[in-house]
Amino acid sequence: MATVGGVEYSKIAEIKGPLVIVDDVENAAFDELVEVETSDNERRLGKVLEVGNGKAIVQVFEGTTGLSISDTSTRFVGKVMEMPVSKEVLGRVFDGLGRPKDNLPDPIADKFLDINGAPMNPEQREYPKDFIQTGVSVIDGMITLVRGQKLPIFSGSGMSHNIVAAQIARQATVIGTQEEFAVVFAAIGVQYSEAEYFRRTLEESGALKRSVLFLNLADDPAIERIITPRVALTVAEYMAFELGMHVLVILTDMTNYAEALREISAAREEVPGRKGYPGYLYTDLSTIYERAGKLVGKTGSVTQVPILSMPSDDITHPIPDLTGYITEGQIVLGRDLFRQGIYPPVNILMSLSRLMKDGIGEGRTREDHGEISNQNYDAYSRAQEVRALAGIVGKAGLTDIDLKYMDTGDIFEKEFLTQDIDENRNLDESLSLLWKTVSSLPRNELTKVKDRYVEKFYQGNDD
Amino acid sequence: MLSTNALEQTISKILSQTEKRVVSTLDETLAESQKQLDDMRSELDAEYDKIISDGKKEADKIEKQIVGSSDLEARNQQLLVVGEAVDNVFNEVLEQIAKAPRDKEYSGLLDTLLREAMSVLRSTDVIVYSNQSERDTVQSVLEKFPDAEMASESIDCLGGIQIKSRDGAMTFDNTLDARISRLKPLIRRDIAAKFGVSG
Repeated sequence: MATVGGVEYSKIAEIKGPLVIVDDVENAAFDELVEVETSDNERRLGKVLEVGNGKAIVQVFEGTTGLSISDTSTRFVGKVMEMPVSKEVLGRVFDGLGRPKDNLPDPIADKFLDINGAPMNPEQREYPKDFIQTGVSVIDGMITLVRGQKLPIFSGSGMSHNIVAAQIARQATVIGTQEEFAVVFAAIGVQYSEAEYFRRTLEESGALKRSVLFLNLADDPAIERIITPRVALTVAEYMAFELGMHVLVILTDMTNYAEALREISAAREEVPGRKGYPGYLYTDLSTIYERAGKLVGKTGSVTQVPILSMPSDDITHPIPDLTGYITEGQIVLGRDLFRQGIYPPVNILMSLSRLMKDGIGEGRTREDHGEISNQNYDAYSRAQEVRALAGIVGKAGLTDIDLKYMDTGDIFEKEFLTQDIDENRNLDESLSLLWKTVSSLPRNELTKVKDRYVEKFYQGNDD
Repeated sequence: MLSTNALEQTISKILSQTEKRVVSTLDETLAESQKQLDDMRSELDAEYDKIISDGKKEADKIEKQIVGSSDLEARNQQLLVVGEAVDNVFNEVLEQIAKAPRDKEYSGLLDTLLREAMSVLRSTDVIVYSNQSERDTVQSVLEKFPDAEMASESIDCLGGIQIKSRDGAMTFDNTLDARISRLKPLIRRDIAAKFGVSG
């Protein structure tokens, strides 16, 4: 924390969108924190985006509405934005810039950390392979989340992504360890009702005391959204790598973050990339997503579940597209399943956890986990093909085995996929349901599973 | 007579068959009822177990909720009390600073503050502001800085100085108030540590 204060500059050259251009600036630094003071002594925070030729471009987080060139002064604080961290932040609610929102005093900080984080040394990264049980069958069974992974939820407008995320936050546990678990929740431009749902659901499940909430609501300044995931991840990193906790970070909704980035980019008159997003969107997103992981010699881990709502459910949109390049898989929510009232409406055929294979199996979850998951994926995929075929030729035109696959698809959706929002299934229950699903098929159809597992777990009576 | 016997035999046969059928039906029904009862018993047992298990889950949930909320409430109360205590210490310290004698040592402090401020603005050609009561002390310190000029108006602060460039574009606040405000988060931690509270 800098102890020498910064210089105040009162020559404002221009105010443009969320940006203030300050003249005659000497000795300012890139990313330096700036306090902007209005004529009525209101203070707003900002940061330096560019310096040079005696000018500094300052991005004002709370927006520039009400600022005037003549009556505004800017104080360059002499340090980058920092977040006070300590174990005391657990159970607290902060705004999008990390200021208390729960009528309690500022946390007594153990440290003040740069919100941009320190890049993890790739050499020091430990490959994530420890299973996190979420209690949600479809995730634990087929898109397994591991400690230190970044696994986004690709959703659409109005779908139940926040309910899924809240259920994960409530139920997530690290099996077979006494190490502490914490949840950092960052709401980025969400509605009040959504943020309140998260707070209430964590409180009611007793999980609030192991959670930290950062809330930038829909009516809060859009530019603040650039900061919200960064302060949240700073706290997460501190708890993981200094306090040795396993931290699950939920960032919702990253689409709003990208929109804020686009707004700033437009104000800076940068050359736009796809759909008007800046060309550096990929790089910028990576500075957030790459803050997940585990480090050699450190007990804790940071696991990220960013949520993004795909505009028009378009998975080729730049935000999900670029996110998919950085993250280690994705959980895709399907509009059709959602319309059928299935919860969680996870479209398993489009979902994937790239790190699952290393986090499951003998000694980690259960010996048959990988194979029974593959078998279900195969069976559900075939069921979808048969359903499409039935749409053309009718059920009468299907063979017996096709009909059995259709039944398997129904059982998969109704018994395995469907789950109550407060139903916490353990791994054995989830795997048992996976076996139940494929047990509606004849034994000789189970080609992805070893015979010894079929002998042990197959529940059908067909031979 | 013959026809009566034949009739009786037929009736008897029908009665016997009917009896057999009734007994057999009764047996079947009994067996079926028994089976249904057995099935129901296992179903009831399962249902009973489910109700007990759901009830236990619900009780666990409520227990977690109550314990979690109470823990959090207690911790929040502690935060409020510590926050208030730290603020009281701060206020007391500010009062003591305000009452501290403006002696030779204080003149030395002002000299340090001025040099620090001028080095930040990278100029000695500045206008210096102080509070009304310290104007004379500051003026005497300024004798060492011929380019600097004392401002005609005063500012409201505990002590220390504020300097501005001649064109008014740059200001550096090195008043005691500004310094305390900058260092407050660090000082809060140290004060809280005295109460046995760490971050």
